[in-house]
Amino acid sequence: MAADGGAGGSPRELDGRRWPDRGASRVPNWVYTDPAVFAREQERIFEGPSWLYVCLDAEIPNPGDFTRSRLGMREVVAVRGADGQVRVLVNSCAHRSMQFCSANRGSVKEFICPYHQWTYDLEGKLLGVPFRRGLKGQGGMPDDFRPEEHGLKQLAVASRNGVVFASFSQPNETFEDYLGPLMLGYFDRVFNGRELKVLGYQRQRLPSNWKLMFENIKDPYHASLLHVFLVTFGLFRMDQQSAVEMDDTGRHGVLVNRRAEQKANEATAQMRAFHQNLKLADPRLIDPVREYPGDATVVMQTLWPNLIVQQQSNGLAMRQIVPLDAQNFDLVWTHFGYADDPPEMTERRLRQSNLFGPAGFVSADDGEAMILSQAGIAAAEDDECLVEMGGRDVANVPHTVTETAIRGFYQHYRSVMGL
Amino acid sequence: MIAAVPGVDAALELRARLADLYGAYDDALGEGVYERWPEFFTETCRYQIIPRESYELGHPIGLMQAESRGMLVDRVAAIRNTMLYAPRIVRRLAIEPAGIRLSASFAVFQTMLNEPSQVFLCGRLYDRVVEDGGALRFAERICVTDSTLVPTSLVFPI
Repeated sequence: MAADGGAGGSPRELDGRRWPDRGASRVPNWVYTDPAVFAREQERIFEGPSWLYVCLDAEIPNPGDFTRSRLGMREVVAVRGADGQVRVLVNSCAHRSMQFCSANRGSVKEFICPYHQWTYDLEGKLLGVPFRRGLKGQGGMPDDFRPEEHGLKQLAVASRNGVVFASFSQPNETFEDYLGPLMLGYFDRVFNGRELKVLGYQRQRLPSNWKLMFENIKDPYHASLLHVFLVTFGLFRMDQQSAVEMDDTGRHGVLVNRRAEQKANEATAQMRAFHQNLKLADPRLIDPVREYPGDATVVMQTLWPNLIVQQQSNGLAMRQIVPLDAQNFDLVWTHFGYADDPPEMTERRLRQSNLFGPAGFVSADDGEAMILSQAGIAAAEDDECLVEMGGRDVANVPHTVTETAIRGFYQHYRSVMGL
Repeated sequence: MIAAVPGVDAALELRARLADLYGAYDDALGEGVYERWPEFFTETCRYQIIPRESYELGHPIGLMQAESRGMLVDRVAAIRNTMLYAPRIVRRLAIEPAGIRLSASFAVFQTMLNEPSQVFLCGRLYDRVVEDGGALRFAERICVTDSTLVPTSLVFPI
């Protein structure tokens, strides 16, 4: 894989913007602030040929069950049809574009837009238009009005092992090809066909560019330095056998690590976050058990462009990135387990959930770090970020002393964005 | 002369003691002395901050959860020693229990350095208070937040 990114011949400028030399080992600060960059991201990434995470099957198990979601700037409703298939409909009436669905979730027989009561079936087909034929021979829709031409817009849908993805423009590859064999293997590790169960929702608004969230989970370097809980209790640490891997394009990635002991060594000597004597008053908080084959205890997977799959010990969550504008995004957390988890495992996941989310012993650190990053970046739009840890190239490596997955992300980003 | 009504004195006393508990809790957290926070709970208490959406769906995971006083101690230790967060003040409206139903509305405000004060979270508390070693303590405090959305991070308990 070349580190230089940038598709040959594509325009490298955007309103006079030019990517700095040294390819993906430098990231110009304006990619985090410029509204024109944000607009192009919406068009080429979020509404382009990407498979976007929508929801879990477990959220809409029965025909008529729906859940509302936001993909980039667009609101959608994922609904299970009478045929058991999930459809992802744009939340906008074909008549006057009104958001017809304002509940986060529920169960319906049909969708009725409250404004003029246009009615759609679960497949988005327009069923009824009040006064379509007029009243007493007066008014009504024109004779050539064809309801079949005015259904709800819908997205291409891909589903794998209980997880639903959708795309605004049909990608020219299946979801499986989109992930590639290496990333698909990690995906199937958690989504192995067992039925899932939602354990809780969280949502936080961060004044930060959405890409910083991705970079955070592609950056194992900070994990061994910033997070006292990860380092001290050995939940993610640089001195463990580990790996950073990507698909062939660099857009998806994983950080893999193994649990360590709370013992000082040569590596922990460089980690100010390592507290050898930190003891929990209630150690049940961190009492993980192995639940997947192999000896990896953490696999954090980033799936372009809106999903982080968290498997940290027994803490499982989908973290969905919802960009709001160039300098704000929402992070939507869906904590889950398996439908057949024994009660002790659900309790374990509940306790470990204290590490994650807006109040997480680990994740709150990340949220705050992103806010401070954005503040520094916004004040210096013409500067650039340095991404050279582990070299300047993009390659899978058997360690975590690297920022290679951030370079991989920007290698792909530049080619999609024409920057 | 008014005859003593059986039970009234006891009820008034309980009411006063509950007011003391809620007042002391507000004082400790209002002054930012989070070290005192665990003292208001029983050893085997349950504490949770959970969005109303998840509460109504019966989901076990909220925003913050503890099932012992030790977990509250660990939370305070993390706030003081391990977590990264920008400086902030979280201010609370005094909470008074409505009779002995032990539920109350709450609102907390947050002020970041050099920024205007903002409503941070509001919602409803559902409490269970018990006699515990001569004092009233919370055996359970569930803070149900009206919004699922947390502006930035939730650092301090409610």
